[in-house]
Amino acid sequence: MKTRPVLTLEDCRKISAAAEAEAKRNQWNVCIAILDDGGHLLHLVRMDGASPANARIAIEKGRTAAESRRSSAVWEERIKAGRNSMLGMPGITPVQGGLPIIVEGVCVGGVGVSGVQSHEDEQIAAAGIKALA
Amino acid sequence: MKPQLRLAAGCLLACLAVAAGAQQSSPMDVVPDKMPNDIPYGTPISLERAQAAIAAALGESRKRDWKLNVAVVDSGGRLVAFARMDGAQLGSIAISEHKARAAAMYRRETKAFEMGVQAGNHYLLTLDDVIASRGGIPILDGGRLIGAIGCSGGTGSQDEVVCRAGADAVKR
Repeated sequence: MKTRPVLTLEDCRKISAAAEAEAKRNQWNVCIAILDDGGHLLHLVRMDGASPANARIAIEKGRTAAESRRSSAVWEERIKAGRNSMLGMPGITPVQGGLPIIVEGVCVGGVGVSGVQSHEDEQIAAAGIKALA
Repeated sequence: MKPQLRLAAGCLLACLAVAAGAQQSSPMDVVPDKMPNDIPYGTPISLERAQAAIAAALGESRKRDWKLNVAVVDSGGRLVAFARMDGAQLGSIAISEHKARAAAMYRRETKAFEMGVQAGNHYLLTLDDVIASRGGIPILDGGRLIGAIGCSGGTGSQDEVVCRAGADAVKR
């Protein structure tokens, strides 16, 4: 039977702390959500100054990345390129800022960030995932 | 009217009168002078404090070898911090947030709803977004509600123990 890596709470803390540090370094107030490969929430922090909407959006971006195994920006790009039908994809939030967490070639979850510009959200998510390596 | 029928009709009227009397003395008809749970809403809880509550809750849970989900919401009932312990039940992710939200929105422990329903006040289940299960506790600061914590994954009693540890660690 196949085995696969699974995120622990400790892994989530590492990812979240690194992402939060990246946000703080830039004086950004964001929400950082980490989900497992089934799209179930594992860990969330909403920094002071981030809105309730940021919390929801961060979760949905992270879920998009975790479940589709690709960044939420990929979905955004497809729609921008004219594939409007992608707007109807179930459970997809096609906005940059959600990245899959790939370990040993396997998607083990996703990180979603919301609070600043979308490319900055993604920068924070990437900084978080980098801490896992 | 036959005597037996007259007797039956008399009994029926008497029963109705008793029922009407019982309605008038329903505990639901009591009008208290003061508002219940009259707790003002305060400044939304900071992330630092929310995380301190979660850390205390997780510490208590780990000590007992339980695996729970812990959520902290602000005074508006919106998620501020969340942690799922390794091996915690997936269905309880949403329940932990729901308990926290209900504790904030109704300014009381979710245990109050549980006890109410147990006592037969089933109407409580018709109130918006109620969860009638213990393990959701408001977080107060100087008498003001700044947020709430919710735990789920074990029995209600286990959830409550962990929840209380989290809430007590940050109340002022």
